[in-house]
Amino acid sequence: MSTTEKTIVISRFDPDQDEAPRKQEYKVPCDPSWKVLDAVNFIKDELDSTVSHRWSCRMAVCGSCGMMVNGEPKLTCKTALDEYGDRVEIEPLANFPVVRDLVVELDGFMHKFESVKPWIKRVKERAEDMENFNEKGTYSQSAEELGQFKQFSMCINCMLCYSACPVVANEPEFLGPAAIALGHRYNLDTRDEGTEERHEIFRGEGTVFSCSYANECSEVCPKGVDPAAAVNQAKFGAVIDWAKGLVLPRAPHAAD
Amino acid sequence: MKTLLLKLEPLIWFMFGQGIMIGTMLLTGWILVLGILMPLGIVDPMNLNYVRAQQLFTTSLLGIPIAQLLLAALLVLPLWKGAHHVRSLLIDFGGGERDGIVGTVLYLIAIVGSVMGIGAVAGI
Repeated sequence: MSTTEKTIVISRFDPDQDEAPRKQEYKVPCDPSWKVLDAVNFIKDELDSTVSHRWSCRMAVCGSCGMMVNGEPKLTCKTALDEYGDRVEIEPLANFPVVRDLVVELDGFMHKFESVKPWIKRVKERAEDMENFNEKGTYSQSAEELGQFKQFSMCINCMLCYSACPVVANEPEFLGPAAIALGHRYNLDTRDEGTEERHEIFRGEGTVFSCSYANECSEVCPKGVDPAAAVNQAKFGAVIDWAKGLVLPRAPHAAD
Repeated sequence: MKTLLLKLEPLIWFMFGQGIMIGTMLLTGWILVLGILMPLGIVDPMNLNYVRAQQLFTTSLLGIPIAQLLLAALLVLPLWKGAHHVRSLLIDFGGGERDGIVGTVLYLIAIVGSVMGIGAVAGI
């Protein structure tokens, strides 16, 4: 199949040499079947081995190859290069510190991610809690109960939603869409008993109520997760608890 | 002030949400009547004249608590929707550090408007 030459502009940044990112252009013979990542890999393999970028699975599962393509956060292994014209600008994900070229710093995100305790929390350990297990030794969950949270568990941590979120841009400490969606996923899980423990992480400063309903997170998600819905459901949960606190002031975790 | 706003956030958000619902329904009806039905001559513009509107509120709604409650909701909730939306918009445009004072001013406007709205409805 015939190739088309495209100008791929890569944002380059070497912390040892550069004070600010600079643009570098590459002429790339692009195959019509290519994804954006294929063009970056071609540059790395054939034109300039000093270009740094992250990628791994090439099938939209690992979430490593998120980059800004013509100013929009995209999972580059899932984005057809054909959708763009002759000139494509590729930059590191917005709203993250840049380590080098297209590679961003993950520590802040990982910390937020961990803070929502994204695992099933039980009041009692499994060995002490046998009466709640079924005969197979597992917790039963109906298809309906699974359906409550399933979409939120499809997140691949690609961080596109953080790049798209105007609140993250202004308040870097904001917990952010993916972490809230994941924490909410466990709050909705019938096997989990950690909801109250997550409340303080969810309802303090820089958490669900900092969201300003731009809905960009859900727009850019490459896996069809709706983090904005999780944020709003979490807000509604806070409203219910607030109202309960008025009616039953001694209830646990009533309005503080 | 930010701490107080944070505490009240569930209540404010709830009124904002209800305000969106009411505002959206109202606005749609408003556009339908004023923007389409009246220019097409389907609705007589005299239906909205002052005397008729005043009669509707003073005579027809008098002493019907549910009607008064609905009218109060129509007046009050969109104010909270507006105040909260403007606050969020200002945060998105980089006003995060002034949020405490901006939020307070906007919600004070909404409170004053709410008191006036409820007062007007109660005085029907």
